Amino acid sequence: MFSHMPRGTDEVSEPMYFVLTALLDGPLHGHAIMKVVTDLSNGRVKPSVGTLYGILERLSDRGVILVDREEIVNGRSRRYFRITQSGKSILEAEARRMLEAASLVVNRNYA
Amino acid sequence: MTVLERRYRWLLRCYPRAYRTAHGGELLDLLLDSAGPGRRVPEAREVVGLVSGGLQARVHELARGNPWRDGLHLGITAIMVVNTAALLPYLGSLPIWVVVSLAALLAIVRGRTLLALPLVVVTGAKATAIAAGAQLFELTLIPVYPDFLTGRPLHSTTGPLAVAAGYALVAASLPILRGVRHTRSAWWLAALPLVAWAGPEWISEGGEIFPLSLNRLVLAAALITLGAWAGHVSRDPRWALGSALYLLVLSTEMAQHLDFLSRQHLAYWGLLTFVTVASAALPYRYRRHPLD
Repeated sequence: MFSHMPRGTDEVSEPMYFVLTALLDGPLHGHAIMKVVTDLSNGRVKPSVGTLYGILERLSDRGVILVDREEIVNGRSRRYFRITQSGKSILEAEARRMLEAASLVVNRNYA
Repeated sequence: MTVLERRYRWLLRCYPRAYRTAHGGELLDLLLDSAGPGRRVPEAREVVGLVSGGLQARVHELARGNPWRDGLHLGITAIMVVNTAALLPYLGSLPIWVVVSLAALLAIVRGRTLLALPLVVVTGAKATAIAAGAQLFELTLIPVYPDFLTGRPLHSTTGPLAVAAGYALVAASLPILRGVRHTRSAWWLAALPLVAWAGPEWISEGGEIFPLSLNRLVLAAALITLGAWAGHVSRDPRWALGSALYLLVLSTEMAQHLDFLSRQHLAYWGLLTFVTVASAALPYRYRRHPLD
């Protein structure tokens, strides 16, 4: 798995990372994704609506997420997105990479 | 409908029509839910997000189908705009040829390549003949003086080779595009008066021998830069091909005046070449991660 890990420091962007993480617990619509992303990041990551849907379209194009179903609410269509197996693999690889990078600092013995 | 909703609906026009029809309501719901109570003006970050997201969605919508054929169509559309704009100020003296050239441009924009081909060939032949000081099809009083937009006689600063090259490239490309109907936005027609207008002088040295109006310079630089950005966003080479074809015709024009080109001419050519090369390289840049 490590040989397929992304290289460099500019990896999966932070909003993308939180969007994929938000979908780990099941399909969500745009409004719920926005709320979960804000909660998970303690309010630090709050993408604009245009940015959020740009991320969702891009992840969808790459097969990382799928439209699970569409519901009509107040006469308007609302899409629920779910993460794919490929999306979970990418997210896990990114989490491991960050964990390894963080451990270099966190586990250092300063004494 | 509240003022805020009306304003957000207006901003959503940045997105392609098909996307708006399918998902505009979904975005609007979220935008209105996220807005604070009593708010009338969209938040600045939402405005930036919608404009940026809308333009990117448009780029992705345009980056469909064969990129080489579409890039070729894009390039010849731009060249035909320049060809037609060159004739436009002479509407009073050459009404038939201006109309034929406009019809050719319209046919290209609508993707009617076979219809456009004979129109491009006859207009190109006539324009080249005028640039060479020869008579063709009908008696034309040369030099041809303008009615509006410029003060110079037709092709007084452009040689027959450059005029012929512009039309020949378009004519040679049209049969290649047969079969698949490529269409372009009608906004290309809106560029005609801007390209035709002699505009403010920018080239101070050698400008009388090979004039390039500020409006044409800015328009070409802006469109080629926009194409480079589109290539970057979509990782698609069609915009680079379109820019390269335009640059080829501009280079032929400039080559005819090689001895008289000023630093400003060369700086401008260098800038367009740099952005075109960048737009050709950007779609093939290294992928930093699987989602890049």
